[in-house]
Amino acid sequence: MDLIIGLILATVISWLNFVIVDTFLGLPEAPGVKGAETVGYSIKARKGDLAGGFFQGNILCSPDASAGTLMASIGFYILGIQGGLIAALLVYIGNRLCADPGYAGTTGALTMTLLIFIFSFIGITPEMFICGMVIAIFTIQGIHHPTSSRLIGKIAKSFGRYTKYE
Amino acid sequence: MISMGANGFQLLVNYIVAILVAIVLSLVLRLPLLPEKPIRFSWTKSALFPTPIFAIGILAIFYSLNIFWIYDGLLIAIIVGVFAALFVKYLFDYIFPNPPKLEGGSE
Repeated sequence: MDLIIGLILATVISWLNFVIVDTFLGLPEAPGVKGAETVGYSIKARKGDLAGGFFQGNILCSPDASAGTLMASIGFYILGIQGGLIAALLVYIGNRLCADPGYAGTTGALTMTLLIFIFSFIGITPEMFICGMVIAIFTIQGIHHPTSSRLIGKIAKSFGRYTKYE
Repeated sequence: MISMGANGFQLLVNYIVAILVAIVLSLVLRLPLLPEKPIRFSWTKSALFPTPIFAIGILAIFYSLNIFWIYDGLLIAIIVGVFAALFVKYLFDYIFPNPPKLEGGSE
């Protein structure tokens, strides 16, 4: 597949994978660790959305589906499907070390392994997924936090996972 | 197209065997099937999470090191499944203790 088209598709697939898994498993609902709480209220003070802020704080402070997606892509690139499964185990261990129950990261790594396997049949390679995931996380964490947190807040509302914190 | 290694179908069977052995044995060892609700914030270890994660993760490490031993890796799958269940039941809390509940933490 053409590199640019593959990269765009990989970015969209990775973005959807980690945002959907993370939102569904409750990242915008509550800060899992103290750092996520600080990040959330700090983003709210900059006219962002609190649920989106918790989401960004949680993926910053412990490995969640964003890290799972990236690690699964790298594992798949090195070792094939085996690598994706090892990545899921490593993400789970990393979650526990960060005092996080570890559902989102492991689930994200496993779903991403499955997605890379499926999309390898239409020619999207694991390299494209590694690069695509870096671009996807950049759109959430790297450009403008208040704007992306408002987008995450809207997605969280539509999933029924909006935070009850004030 | 990505190859799965020696024999894709056999490997798939081995992974499923490892997952089933791990889940059944952890149920026999009286772990709950599912974590308590709400699942997404629960710390309970259970038969469906994280036991199969350990089973397939450790099995994948063996296979990626090209260790298949006899019966195309099926025996390793069973041993790893048993190990994963025993690990989660008896060793897990020692290696991954639950975090302390801090006063004034996130609530």
